[in-house]
Amino acid sequence: MSFQKFTLGLVAAFGLPWLLLIAVPFGTTRNIDAPEFDEDKDGRTGLYETASRTGRVANGSEVYGANGCYVCHTQVIRPTNAGNDLWRDAWAGQKNDDTKNGPRESNAFDYKGELIAHIGLTRNGPDLSNVGYRLEQAAAAAGVSPEDYVYQRLLTPRAILDNYDSTCPSQPQLFRPANAFGQTTEAYLDAEGNKLVPGKSAKALANYLLKLKKDDFIPDSINYSRD
Amino acid sequence: MSNDQTNTLDARLRTAIDKSVSNPVMFFFTTGALWLVVSILLGVLASLKSHWPTFFEAFGELSTGRAYVAHLNVLIYGWCFPAAFGAIIWFMSRLCRKESKHAGIIVAAGLVWNFGVVIGLLGVMLGKSTGVPWMEFPNQCWVIFLFAYILIAIWSFVQFRVREGGHVYISQWYILAALFLFPWIFCSAHIFTFVFDGHPVMTAAVASWFKSSIVNLFFIPVAAASVYYIAPKVTGRPVHSYSLALLGFWTLIILGAWGGIQKLTGAPLPAFMPYVSAAAGVLFFIPALTIGYNILMTTKSHHDLAKKSPSLRFTVASVIALIGMGVAGVFLNLPSVMRGTQFSLSGYGYEILALYGVFSMSMFAAIYYIVPRVTKREWLAPSFIRTHFNLSAYGVIAVVMGSILGGYLQGAAVEAIDQPFSDAKATAYMISIFNSIAWVIILISNLAFLFHILLMAVRLGRHSKHATLIEEHHGSSPHGADGKVNNY
Repeated sequence: MSFQKFTLGLVAAFGLPWLLLIAVPFGTTRNIDAPEFDEDKDGRTGLYETASRTGRVANGSEVYGANGCYVCHTQVIRPTNAGNDLWRDAWAGQKNDDTKNGPRESNAFDYKGELIAHIGLTRNGPDLSNVGYRLEQAAAAAGVSPEDYVYQRLLTPRAILDNYDSTCPSQPQLFRPANAFGQTTEAYLDAEGNKLVPGKSAKALANYLLKLKKDDFIPDSINYSRD
Repeated sequence: MSNDQTNTLDARLRTAIDKSVSNPVMFFFTTGALWLVVSILLGVLASLKSHWPTFFEAFGELSTGRAYVAHLNVLIYGWCFPAAFGAIIWFMSRLCRKESKHAGIIVAAGLVWNFGVVIGLLGVMLGKSTGVPWMEFPNQCWVIFLFAYILIAIWSFVQFRVREGGHVYISQWYILAALFLFPWIFCSAHIFTFVFDGHPVMTAAVASWFKSSIVNLFFIPVAAASVYYIAPKVTGRPVHSYSLALLGFWTLIILGAWGGIQKLTGAPLPAFMPYVSAAAGVLFFIPALTIGYNILMTTKSHHDLAKKSPSLRFTVASVIALIGMGVAGVFLNLPSVMRGTQFSLSGYGYEILALYGVFSMSMFAAIYYIVPRVTKREWLAPSFIRTHFNLSAYGVIAVVMGSILGGYLQGAAVEAIDQPFSDAKATAYMISIFNSIAWVIILISNLAFLFHILLMAVRLGRHSKHATLIEEHHGSSPHGADGKVNNY
């Protein structure tokens, strides 16, 4: 086998999957047209548009990535042929709400505005596709604002009763000492009793997590979870 | 020319080649060994914090997520790549029978590469990680790596092109393929992720493909180059079958770039992608078994040698791990299994099997073979090599089996929707404890290795004509008949 033939063989053997699996799908998925609602099937008309993650929420996605949250948490609700995610309690979205069509699987518009979809590596922790709802409910039960609840949860993940067995790490690096700037009103206590206030990253992450509600009403044409 | 004259000329050429590449080869191996220990320390930390979250809690820079990311990235960029470079440089020079004329440039490029690793590690620790698996080092690092890679690798290409013809050996096919495909994979993955504006889910697919392709088309080929070099050399037998070697090579190259995207099954992607990747993952057993069988048949009837020779023992361990990788690929990519294991610790188990079980073990084999030749010293202590082998083998078996089988149970618990999610958490907790113990064992193993290779780097090895064997009794002196410890 000559060197030229060898190189040609390499280019062909690698080039084909590179083209079909990476280059072409990358090009064709760059801008996906939003589907339209159908008056008959959906009871409404117009384009399906999801809110893009911009500003602080987009930064929150970066903070989520920079702190390796995706190592233990996923953000994908798989269709039933690939897994049982749709039926895990509260993972796939809210039930019985007339503005929603119930728990649904993830779609291509759910990750708009992020550098990378944080699909995740393991489920050492629960899926976070719809964690926004769960955080709001827990905050309401504890009688605090959702933001307060998230900050406290990031600092002392095990302090909350039903979460005593969590192995989620505390994230003090996203906070700064309260007395540094004389602020005491929105200070949170870490496990050792130090007063901390959320830094820019903590605020961005909290905003991002509270916005994780991937169960908006979708056109029938892309609703594969319909009965 | 008589045979004797030819042999003398041959020996002189070999010595000249070894001398010419001595500095870069030792540079990559010793810095690699150092980073390997750092990576394992981070692995111990990440694993400990997975079941003991309050450990070092006040230091958020070392949180589970950041430590895990640093652990894998330092393993890949700090140890795996430099070890591969060292082996490639030596194998290619010897097989092309050409001295290296650019050792200085290669060492300088190696320094640049290591600078990239330092910047990357600090970046991850300080919260600048990109969040893209295996490409987490902050953005500018990949450009540094690419620049350094070109200056390191180009000379091996040049050596191949200017060699004096003759037979191209199997190890050379693998090295050429790895050298040629690495920049293509590395550049396209990073450009599609960080330069072009793509769909977020497609970016995740590119990252997943990058992990799989860099293993299948860089680390496995370099490992194969090493085992195809060492097994025949140490046993003194030709490779069992040339046709099988061809089959193993081309099936690996043809299948290598199709994998990875099965980790995104169920994500909103074109539906064919995860299916094709899963199929490639299953078919990976063809090259894995072919290479494994070919090497094991070459070393057959030399079991005594595999007990004594460090290089051969690590080589055999590496190909057994490769066969294990083929079997694990079939198991993990079955649709019924993948529902659960897709998001479980078994993915980590598979990665460690590839990076440590197959690749690192083959690199240890190469290092035990190459270092005495380039330093003109023999390894100092058989007991260090024995410790290194035994603890590495037990440790990696524990991490891999624990994570893959434990991950299967964890996945099954997540899928069991009538049971609480805390059941799955309990399984992950158990695996983490197991992994912590296993990583501590691997840490001890590699501390011995690091100490040993540092002694060799400062030329404190034995001055002897006899290779250091793992199991050999040297009579009264611990270093053999002519084995005085060389301290100069």
